[in-house]
Amino acid sequence: MGATFFGQYLLSKGVISRDALIDAINLQRKKNLSLTALAVRLGYLDSQQEEEILFRYRTTDSKLEDLCLASGHLTRDQLDDLTRIQTSDWRRIGAALVEGGHLSRDEVEEHLSVFREMQRRADEQIEANFSACREPETVKTVVTLAMIHLGRISDLPVKLRSLNDGDCDLATGRRRFVQRLVGDRELHVVLDLPQEIELVVAEGLVDIPLESGSETAIDAVCEVVNIIGGNACTQLESCGFKLRPEPPYSTVDNGPVDGTKACVRAEILAGDTEADVLVIL
Amino acid sequence: MTKWRVMTVDDSAAILTIIAAYLEDSEFEVVASERDGRSAVERFAEIKPDIVLLDLIMPGQSGVETLSRLLAIDPDAFVVIVSSLGTEEAVHECLTTGAKSFLQKPFTKDDFIDFMRDLTQVA
Repeated sequence: MGATFFGQYLLSKGVISRDALIDAINLQRKKNLSLTALAVRLGYLDSQQEEEILFRYRTTDSKLEDLCLASGHLTRDQLDDLTRIQTSDWRRIGAALVEGGHLSRDEVEEHLSVFREMQRRADEQIEANFSACREPETVKTVVTLAMIHLGRISDLPVKLRSLNDGDCDLATGRRRFVQRLVGDRELHVVLDLPQEIELVVAEGLVDIPLESGSETAIDAVCEVVNIIGGNACTQLESCGFKLRPEPPYSTVDNGPVDGTKACVRAEILAGDTEADVLVIL
Repeated sequence: MTKWRVMTVDDSAAILTIIAAYLEDSEFEVVASERDGRSAVERFAEIKPDIVLLDLIMPGQSGVETLSRLLAIDPDAFVVIVSSLGTEEAVHECLTTGAKSFLQKPFTKDDFIDFMRDLTQVA
């Protein structure tokens, strides 16, 4: 089912109703405040200081707690106070559903165990070689999703061959499949596939024979990049990003790879064929 | 057996093809497939399907805007969002606008059919 959060999983399985999910999310929104939002509420930070910390949080790999202290706007005692309040008030979606009377604690535990196992199996496919590149969480999320979906759809074994930070040279004569993700930052996801893989992926998605380079084949691979980009927005939400995908497109030129933006290229092997996933940051 | 009449709306022809294939020989019949929000609204007014499967990220009129327009025509329209984007914010916006449920892409045929059958329990 790809990247998802527990509430949406329960809804899609028919375990809870839409009204129950809305109710639980509303309860979460009322109760769950980020450390910085809580600090503003308690008068420890003003809005400008909060935005300054959040900007650093979105653009570095540091923990929010460390950035709060490093900013000089919060003391250790204030941070401990905020953490204590946040922990005691925080509602996970399961707890919010129980609190709203929509599920019992036992029902939540039962479904959570199935959900976690599903997530664990997905995580097993993740390579761990991302720590050296810039914005590792973002790059890892996008590349991992690309590998999972390309492998699932093409039915080919997919593995990461190398990760190159700053290498944006593109092979000539290939069609690129691009999705721009926008919101509180902007990035592009680019699939740079040789034609034989492009066709395998397209046919794998729609499950009918297609002509290489046909409109339907191109459209199908665009949908694959759309699935990767949309799922990436979902996963990166838990890292504090608010992103949404724009409609995907294909291009025979270099697209967003224009040499002005930072780029991480993941070389992957799909079967015996090399393909690239680029994250333009 | 009377089949559930389904309209699918997605800018991706690939997704329209997949959904039509998944629903073949089932208790659901795809009565219309539209590639954009505007034509979906027009078609909906003509044929009044039982269920609308609506993409969220489309060029031009977005899924949420299309959802609002469908509900303006028929406040009881049974519209389900089918999207690769499954953020809490997106799910919440769609459900509070009036979508009856939300299915995140990708999905297998079995997942999809199970999901559709669950829908008919409340449709």
